[in-house]
Amino acid sequence: MKRYLFFDSEKCTACGACALACIDQNDVDTAAGQQPFRHTFTLEGRKGELSFYSVSCMHCADASCVMGCPCGCLTKDPESGFTLYDTQNCIGCHSCAMACPYGIPGFGADGKMQKCDACIQRQRAGLVPACVKVCPTGALSLLTQEEFLARQEKERQKKARLMMTKQLDQ
Amino acid sequence: MERFAIVGFGCAGYHGLRAIREAGSSARVDVYSDTGLPPYNPMLTTYYTAGRLPYEGLFPFGSLSEIAREYDAHLFTETRAARVDSKNRAVVTGSGERQEYDKILVAAGASAFVPGSFANLKGAFCMRTVEDAVRLHDAIQEREYQNAVIVGASMVGIKVAELLHKRGCQVTLADMAPHIFALAAYPEVSEMIEARLREMGIAMAFGQAIAGAEEHLDSNGKVRGYTVRLADGSTLETELLVLNIGTRAATGFLDPGEITIDRGILVDERMETSVPGIYAAGDCSQGRNLQSGERQIIGLWANAGTQGRVAGRNMAGVPDETDGNILHNITHFLDMDFIGLGDNRLGGEVHTYQSPDKGFYLQAVVKDKKAVGFNILDNYGVSGILKAHLIRLLRGQPCSFTPEQRGQLLRYRLEEGFIEKLEART
Repeated sequence: MKRYLFFDSEKCTACGACALACIDQNDVDTAAGQQPFRHTFTLEGRKGELSFYSVSCMHCADASCVMGCPCGCLTKDPESGFTLYDTQNCIGCHSCAMACPYGIPGFGADGKMQKCDACIQRQRAGLVPACVKVCPTGALSLLTQEEFLARQEKERQKKARLMMTKQLDQ
Repeated sequence: MERFAIVGFGCAGYHGLRAIREAGSSARVDVYSDTGLPPYNPMLTTYYTAGRLPYEGLFPFGSLSEIAREYDAHLFTETRAARVDSKNRAVVTGSGERQEYDKILVAAGASAFVPGSFANLKGAFCMRTVEDAVRLHDAIQEREYQNAVIVGASMVGIKVAELLHKRGCQVTLADMAPHIFALAAYPEVSEMIEARLREMGIAMAFGQAIAGAEEHLDSNGKVRGYTVRLADGSTLETELLVLNIGTRAATGFLDPGEITIDRGILVDERMETSVPGIYAAGDCSQGRNLQSGERQIIGLWANAGTQGRVAGRNMAGVPDETDGNILHNITHFLDMDFIGLGDNRLGGEVHTYQSPDKGFYLQAVVKDKKAVGFNILDNYGVSGILKAHLIRLLRGQPCSFTPEQRGQLLRYRLEEGFIEKLEART
């Protein structure tokens, strides 16, 4: 069944709990300089307004990293739709990084690619990804296809309303 | 039942076949390949030669039998297509067999170019095919070369230089161009890379043609070494000679009177050639350069895959287009990364950024407030974001970064002020 890792920026506070859960779940050795597969950050707008984000692999439907990898290490999981990898033949060429519009792929001490796999092993065991489980505000959620499409439609309507308000204000 | 043929079975041919099936076509698909090998990636050859990738790793899509089974293909391996009769959509093999098809995908790739002055050298190496990789791999196991001349300071040339340098071989990189990576790097960035190479002990002979080479044999007829002659009359003595001078699109089996060929086979956005029903994709095809609007061979792995997929979908009756691509390269070598995005010949205002820790360098060329090219040293993290940005600009899409991209650029040590410059806000 297709599933989607959904991020709602309105609910995020960039508290970093998701990144910590990622470190724990994936045994990320931060002392050795390794980075978690999820990052949180705060952006300050022109008028000083703050917005909060949590970013990891977007698991793009047509993921350019899959086509970009010269070794065939990256694949789309036909069952879940997530972008998974097997780096046995990874040569550390960084082609996936150049293909990714979000700067997601990282490289471990062994030079091989690593990134978020949506905690696929947890999901296969019927659990949600660690970041989703720990998120205290519900900014991160795991959705079914139906829920995701409904959510997208809601976002679209919200955006349209916002644009209309902006135009009326002008 | 419809009948399709795919001529050549590398990245573009594989993705063409896969797309035909994924689009739901049940046509009979005949695949002609002049090798008996599964689709392989020429970029991986140096990794195999260096012992950094097992032999099986050269074939990212698996074995021929697996591919044939999964995508229901009839494979004609070690079967050279001597002629593709475009007018009648027929493939004629080297042994004279002729088959007609409804649609043909030409995905024959490109081969290493060896100029006439080098053609008689029996012991010189190239680095393009699996056979080339195996040959050099075996040669460096057998003999401990003390020195080597590598002709062609390209992405392949530097990888060959790297693997030999790491084995303790004294390497000289030679090229007619004045600098390393002449087709991708700005001269200032080339000079930075060259300074690093010099410090590592890699010699360079740039800016003059390589006039030729004499092969020296021992009493048993085995190649002992070479005298390489440069255009200025100087010579280089070497035990090992590797030629990475460039590639040429494989189009010899097509009649230029029937199908339009320039440097490669000209294709439109659907990857269809000048002859309806004949498609071309990958290194033998000349698709659109998004930046210049002209048609140009952009011989890159991912580009071949995308082109093959578009061709396959159209062959299967599912309309698809690609609006083209930009020149882009990433090369990870000798513990550094060089990334070139966009045509490096385009001029404009030059903006440079050196991270405070001196860990990475970025050079951006901006014209009419829009970026037209980037060179990056030692920061793969920003490369994909900047590449996507450049493509968006060329498509006339919004030129500000998304919040996610902005956050990642900051994380990868690019400063806010420089990001603003790239967004080209007026």
